[in-house]
Amino acid sequence: MKKISLIIITLLSLQAYSQENWFSGSFNSNAQYYLDDNKTGDFNEDDRFRSNNYLKLDARFNHFTFGIQVEGYAPQAILNFSPTFDKKIGLGNYYANYRTEKLDITAGHFYEQFGNGLILRSWEDKELGINNALIGGRIKYSPFNYLQLTALYGKQRKGFDISDGEILGFDTELNLSDLFKLENSSINVGFSAVSRIQDIENAAPNFNKNTNAFSGRLNFSKGNIYTYIEYIIKDEDALVEFETVKTDKLATGNALVFNTGYSKKGFGIDATFRRLENMNFFSDREQEGNLYNEQVVNYIPSLTKQHDYSLTNIYVYQSQPKLSYNPIGKSGEIGTQFDIYYNIKKGSSLGGKYGTKLAFNYSTWYGLDAEYNIVDRTYSSEFLNFGNKYFTDTNLEVRKKWSKQWASIFTFTNLFYNKRYVEETVGKVNATILVAESTYKISPKKSIRFEAQHLWTKDDKKNWWGGTLEYNLSPKISFFATDVYNYGNELKKIHYYNFGGSFTKNTTRIALNYGRQRGGLLCVGGICRIVPESTGVGLTVSTSF
Amino acid sequence: MKNYILSLFILLYCLSSYSQSSLPIYKLKSLDGTMVSTENLAAKDEVLVISLWATWCVPCINELDAIQENYADWQEETSFKLVAISIDNARTSSRVKPLVNGKEWDYEILLDTNQDFKRAVNANTVPHVLIVKNNKILYSHSGYTPGSEIDLYEKVKEFAQ
Repeated sequence: MKKISLIIITLLSLQAYSQENWFSGSFNSNAQYYLDDNKTGDFNEDDRFRSNNYLKLDARFNHFTFGIQVEGYAPQAILNFSPTFDKKIGLGNYYANYRTEKLDITAGHFYEQFGNGLILRSWEDKELGINNALIGGRIKYSPFNYLQLTALYGKQRKGFDISDGEILGFDTELNLSDLFKLENSSINVGFSAVSRIQDIENAAPNFNKNTNAFSGRLNFSKGNIYTYIEYIIKDEDALVEFETVKTDKLATGNALVFNTGYSKKGFGIDATFRRLENMNFFSDREQEGNLYNEQVVNYIPSLTKQHDYSLTNIYVYQSQPKLSYNPIGKSGEIGTQFDIYYNIKKGSSLGGKYGTKLAFNYSTWYGLDAEYNIVDRTYSSEFLNFGNKYFTDTNLEVRKKWSKQWASIFTFTNLFYNKRYVEETVGKVNATILVAESTYKISPKKSIRFEAQHLWTKDDKKNWWGGTLEYNLSPKISFFATDVYNYGNELKKIHYYNFGGSFTKNTTRIALNYGRQRGGLLCVGGICRIVPESTGVGLTVSTSF
Repeated sequence: MKNYILSLFILLYCLSSYSQSSLPIYKLKSLDGTMVSTENLAAKDEVLVISLWATWCVPCINELDAIQENYADWQEETSFKLVAISIDNARTSSRVKPLVNGKEWDYEILLDTNQDFKRAVNANTVPHVLIVKNNKILYSHSGYTPGSEIDLYEKVKEFAQ
């Protein structure tokens, strides 16, 4: 700990004396003080005060970059973080990188994504507590502008520890239109191979401890039309049930993504089809389905609208790539998503003086149509048939500027959420949500924003309403008050209120809030975790330099 | 907790020293699949505004919509350009192209799907804007509230001189 503090102090004092930055970095701190609350329950754990802190420093010398990320969870990590983040102060990431126009070599921790991440993605999200950076080495070589080659080897981070499994990866991307000097269209192709190597004790004879996955992808665009297709296959791997690896029960996996769209000024349409079959892929087999999304090799987000309001974030779909027989038979998902963007022109009767912007989204997801043999732990699935319905979501968003002072956004959402299959509990939910928000500019830099939301449902916890009031005193200072209330719930009516304010100057932001956190799914970027309710005071500080 | 607060303030104080740093050089994909180096985004002495945004981020869209409304007028007055770098990951990156066209934005768009560039410029959140000239970062700002675009343009004018 002392060593790390010393390095930081040295670097910071050097920085203060240099004219030009040869190093840069960022600092984030998220601290919570948990309070007892007779509505959400008393805080019965150790350490009411908790904080997560990250200091990232990168130093650049010509072609070299060196970096560290110091992480501190003091006295321990805030609620709902993986227990693997267990140091008061420790070195989270460190790396050295050498980069020229053609060559890029990294030793230490690195983040990488092949194609769309369906086969491999290592990434970080501090809010969600995800950091599955690979530690090892990576070489990227681009002999020509149209060709990119990547080879890597590493083990994934799990908190301050590293995974048991090893990852070996290779990726190539070729821009054919650049190569053949095609002027009217653009074609990119890519190929990836990823191997997960993990020893396993007492495995069945002939069990292959290496699991390989291969993927091919193609991007094509011409004029206003574009298309993307990717197919991936994953070798036979052991079935994992309740953290037990069954090396005599094997299954292969595969996935297909097809995306196409058309867009021109003022109009855009995008459609995606995806089918996943047994695509869970973990560095460590035993970690399959862990609560904290640790040691995940690939990235399979749910392809639905990413909502921004509190009530539209209650019933959020989570992609279903896994194979399971118990408690219910599931082997993957199949479905589609559509988006349409349209700008109604200024001056037309519907467009008004400033025009009207429309965004429509529809998505529908089903289980695979499959027969399960529970005794033998085998199954057979149909390729293009749809099984049980998991989720459907229809959204319309209208953005309208009324005058120089007034602007509004209206959002309509209708959804179906199959709790039995998505959460593996019971029940189905049909819900309709309306959100209206308006911003009024008091002066060019001072504004006030109102938001009203309502969720109607006869299922699950019944109706909710919500409201937000935000006052932006200047681009630097703003205050907010928000409340969501589950008034339809007979058993538990709670106001989940929050109050706070923030101060922003350049890249420094300090925010303070007090309130109740609604329990349930916390979703950021399409990855969700179940969190318990809590009440407390929070302080967030972030800056970059 | 005392220790925590104390170290926080010492750290913030140390970091508040301000000097310019050079723009990290990354190759990012454009919407038609070609690789574009961040080194070649602007001409010599031209002011470049880089906006890191995402399709799911309402304040980001508000900011880019607000700039778009004034973009033509401002460009007439001051020579600068804006490059909007989307940090959308695989979940939402296919929405970038139809959204940009649907909104009739006139910005050059690049994709940073695994957020390598965002990490390299040490942006904590989006929206995050950088003002760059001759590959030096002269100013950066996080977050958007209505009216921030006016402050941003004031800065652009200042650096354009």
